[in-house]
Amino acid sequence: METRIIWISFLVLLGVIGGFYFLFPRISRSGLLFGVYVGEEVSKSEAARRITRSWYLGMALWLAAAVALALIMGLQYQSVPGSSAALFLLPLGFLEEYLRAYWRARKLARGRAAPLAAAVILTEEPKPLFLPYMAMGFGLVGGLYSIGYAWSHYAQLPDLVPIHFGLLGQPDSWRPRSFSTVMMLPTMCLVMGVGIAGMAYLIGQAKRAIRYGDQGVSFEAQQRFRRIMANFLAIVSLLLTGMLTILSQSSIEVGLRRAQALSPAMMMLTLILVIFALAGSIYIAVRYGQGGSRLEKSAADRPLTDGLADNRLWVLGMFYVNRDDPSLFVERRFGLGYTINFGNPEAVALLGGFIGLIILIAIIAKFAS
Amino acid sequence: MVVIERSLDEPVYEQIARQIRECVASGELSPGTPLPTVRVLASDLGVNLNTVARAYWMLEEEGFIRIRDRSGARVAAPARKPAGDRERLRQELRETLARLRQAGFTSEDLHRLVEREIASLADGRDK
Repeated sequence: METRIIWISFLVLLGVIGGFYFLFPRISRSGLLFGVYVGEEVSKSEAARRITRSWYLGMALWLAAAVALALIMGLQYQSVPGSSAALFLLPLGFLEEYLRAYWRARKLARGRAAPLAAAVILTEEPKPLFLPYMAMGFGLVGGLYSIGYAWSHYAQLPDLVPIHFGLLGQPDSWRPRSFSTVMMLPTMCLVMGVGIAGMAYLIGQAKRAIRYGDQGVSFEAQQRFRRIMANFLAIVSLLLTGMLTILSQSSIEVGLRRAQALSPAMMMLTLILVIFALAGSIYIAVRYGQGGSRLEKSAADRPLTDGLADNRLWVLGMFYVNRDDPSLFVERRFGLGYTINFGNPEAVALLGGFIGLIILIAIIAKFAS
Repeated sequence: MVVIERSLDEPVYEQIARQIRECVASGELSPGTPLPTVRVLASDLGVNLNTVARAYWMLEEEGFIRIRDRSGARVAAPARKPAGDRERLRQELRETLARLRQAGFTSEDLHRLVEREIASLADGRDK
């Protein structure tokens, strides 16, 4: 029963990820084509449409292959790892199709003059965002509380502690008690909660790419989108901290034999978090488009300015490298969300630090086993 | 709006300073208006922090903005310049007029040009 639920979840996840990939060209900013700035007119040309059509066809084939793999592995061999391989097949296909479309789009951008750089001088200070700060504080409090709770109950825990739970919250895997095993979840709570909230704060300060000529609409669109993304991530951080805090405490309660299964509140929060994250991402993508492109209205045909529009600053249309630019976060050129400025040592250190912490937790978990 | 054209011979910091100067002179930016921080403007324009800082220092020296550590940069109110500064500005105007004369402008053209520029500054301030 449980294997079947996991297997169906894989299929749903495949559909959601595949659906997102299909959505990307539709929400793309006018002027951008698969990570290349080709200009507003060229992006609507027949040549551009041909590239997009062939991308759709390629992605449809990859999605069909991934679903087929998941079905075969699930139905024929009842293999969960086999089915999960399908989840890796899809990003692989995405990368292959993206790079193919990217090189074709590059040809359309040949001979384009360097774009202008533009900024708006605000005569009114924008209101500071409250939610990212709140989420950071909550992440810190939740994380420290979880660590403190695990620490204070460590001595009372039996020799075997639960490390994995089934869909209904019952423990299904145990390990000998060790400090790293017990502290892993609370540490993850602290790192993830504060990390995602911090990212939300930085996205609120991300680089703005406006359109030259009709500053008002384009600028407002940028501001609005940044706030929406920052608040969305802050809420995800709040839910994640809540969920991981309850999970940390609940798993210790199960370890102490005070409870048979994880708290229903944790299961409920997990469900809310997953639904909110998925539905929220889809809603933002469809409603606002890439970087708020669907809010640009009349400004959409004006040329995009420096940053997003300068092809020389983007490696493969994915990595923004500008040593002069002090921006930490910049809007992605293809898809939804933000990426870092790889030319800024502070941004690279920030990303490296976050990835390093997660790797450290994974290594501790590995040694703990 | 500040727009940077990298293909121009004019250095980027001068392009920034010139455009802010024009906004102040036309009244688009009134005295007391806060300017973006050096980091925000540099980030939006994708230029080095020092480039924006240099433009701000230049504007402060010319009396267009005031820079305070805590409140950042704000547009300065027009102030009567010392006699030495005014003489230097008069010299600059004279040189510009001489160049325009050399470019084929007659005295009448120069009168019209100066009047038009003064009117456009006044229009901006009246908005």
